[in-house]
Amino acid sequence: MPLDTSTYHLAHLRLDGRRWNELRRFHALLSTQASADGSSYLESGNSKVICTVTGPSEQRRSGAPASNAQRDSAQIIVDISLAGFSGVDRRKTARGSKDRKVMEMQHCVEECFGGVVLGHLYPHSVVQVNVAVLSQDGGVLAACINAVGLALVDAGVPMMGYVAAVTVGSTGTGGGSGGEGEDADDPVLDLNGLEENELPFLTLATVGGGGDGGGDAGEGDKVNVLVMETRMQMAKLESMVAVGLEGCKRVRALLDAAVKGHGKKVLEGKVG
Amino acid sequence: MAPYANLPLSPAELSYLYSSLAQDPPIRPDGRSATQFRPLIAESNILPSANGSARICFIDGTEAVVGVKAEVEQTHENHLVAQNDTRDGERTGRPDPSSAGSWFEISIEIPGLRDDDALPVFLAAMLTEALLGDGELTLKLRINNRFHWRLYIDVLLLSQPLSYPLPLLSLTTHLSLLSTRLPALISEGDEDPLFSDDWEASTFLYTQPNSNAAGKLHQSKPPITLLVISAGENIIFDPSRDELAVAEAVVAISIRQNLLGHMEVVALRTIDAPSRLTASGVPRSLDATTGTNASVSNADAQALREEDEGQSVWRPPRGGINRAKLSQMMATATMENGIGQEVMGGLAGVQGS
Repeated sequence: MPLDTSTYHLAHLRLDGRRWNELRRFHALLSTQASADGSSYLESGNSKVICTVTGPSEQRRSGAPASNAQRDSAQIIVDISLAGFSGVDRRKTARGSKDRKVMEMQHCVEECFGGVVLGHLYPHSVVQVNVAVLSQDGGVLAACINAVGLALVDAGVPMMGYVAAVTVGSTGTGGGSGGEGEDADDPVLDLNGLEENELPFLTLATVGGGGDGGGDAGEGDKVNVLVMETRMQMAKLESMVAVGLEGCKRVRALLDAAVKGHGKKVLEGKVG
Repeated sequence: MAPYANLPLSPAELSYLYSSLAQDPPIRPDGRSATQFRPLIAESNILPSANGSARICFIDGTEAVVGVKAEVEQTHENHLVAQNDTRDGERTGRPDPSSAGSWFEISIEIPGLRDDDALPVFLAAMLTEALLGDGELTLKLRINNRFHWRLYIDVLLLSQPLSYPLPLLSLTTHLSLLSTRLPALISEGDEDPLFSDDWEASTFLYTQPNSNAAGKLHQSKPPITLLVISAGENIIFDPSRDELAVAEAVVAISIRQNLLGHMEVVALRTIDAPSRLTASGVPRSLDATTGTNASVSNADAQALREEDEGQSVWRPPRGGINRAKLSQMMATATMENGIGQEVMGGLAGVQGS
């Protein structure tokens, strides 16, 4: 079913009633599982993700001698599994053979956190991250990154700052649905599943540098992940990234609120 | 070796644990009574994209999520047993219990294990067995003579399998089946099925208690599987990981509630007890360091150990379970106001989010 983007220009409201720069409902919980070192549950619209972290723990001995990089800093191993019931149609993926898309996502998350986690504090150790995607409705990679960040915070793994991820799409001619002039190409923030199928989009993650760690990380923001699998005009990229940076800032504030809310709850539990 | 089996307990600790469980009344490490279930956190209907879903967290930190998806599938002729229905006079088909197993599919995912490893396969077989033994699920999945629903029950264990995960997975499956809804059928007879678009009009796979007009008949419920162990003369329900390590026999009992509100056993299996893999202790008379009999021959040592019979030091349990104990277990599980009804009643009270 093709997405009808033509009405967007009339009211500037999207299919689910949001404006171009509005995020979906964002709900995050920390410490959802008692047996893991760190765990989190994240809902972004209808995308739902559970993440558990084990470690940092001792590296398992394998046959090959550890490389220098493995010896000097903690290794992050990410395992993402898309549940069979997560999509619209049930799809079974055999565990032995993960499909390419999931492998790429795993690699992307590993790379993303490899630079953010202060791994040199934990030489010879492994941080095992398991992500279970329970429901996918757009922005799965972004949801995974946000959830992994929260779970690492819960596990007490030191990081340079929050990693906040968001998707940005571009309406208008990119999908070939008929252009209405240059100003018709608006970037839209945080796509849902329907929009993601139709529009060219990118996933952007930034790591907050310095600042108070909260909503206003300002100058220190660094782009950490930029993934794009669809084609679009080069000229649009800049405005999309600009919108994405703004979105990441908002997501970071939400992540921070979730962590602080959890901390408050823990503190209240300890005190009284 | 199964991941839940390696326990860092010494023979002395095992012996202590066993003797306190074998006492009358048994003393369990967490202070529960023999038929008391551990507290759990449960929620159902958590996923918008699945027909039914549930999540349960046990107090030991193990957590599972189950999602149920349904698809319409054409029924092969040989799946049906011809049968004359006297009420409407037409020939109706009834699913043949022997082949209806393919009408639903349970797959279990455990982190760190491949899905063709022994543990997930065995667990899935046990859950399937209980649902098939129940026999009711396949009747509910029938749409008409030509079509039926096919259920995919995907079980995700989100934590490491700290103890034997069967009760957790079974309870979560039970809860998700209770919350499973199928779209309302608007076509009639043997036509190609056509369903209402209105999700509000969908019907529960297992009828809800408030929609039960008759009042006399109880709600039929999907089966649950409970784990029972024996220690000495005692029967202990819902064993924790430590208790499993000293169990003489581990039995999985699947029970369901029939329409009269009584509990029935639908399936029974003994499970290889992890206690058989524990190391036995060394009797004092054989201990070289305390030294009276420092130089006993191998055969003598063997004989001494046999004589001891696990009285003074820990010896991994041997043999099986006798029939009287087994029937006592079944009776306790299905007792009126017993543990089976308590667990099912507790899960029935779980509200969808």
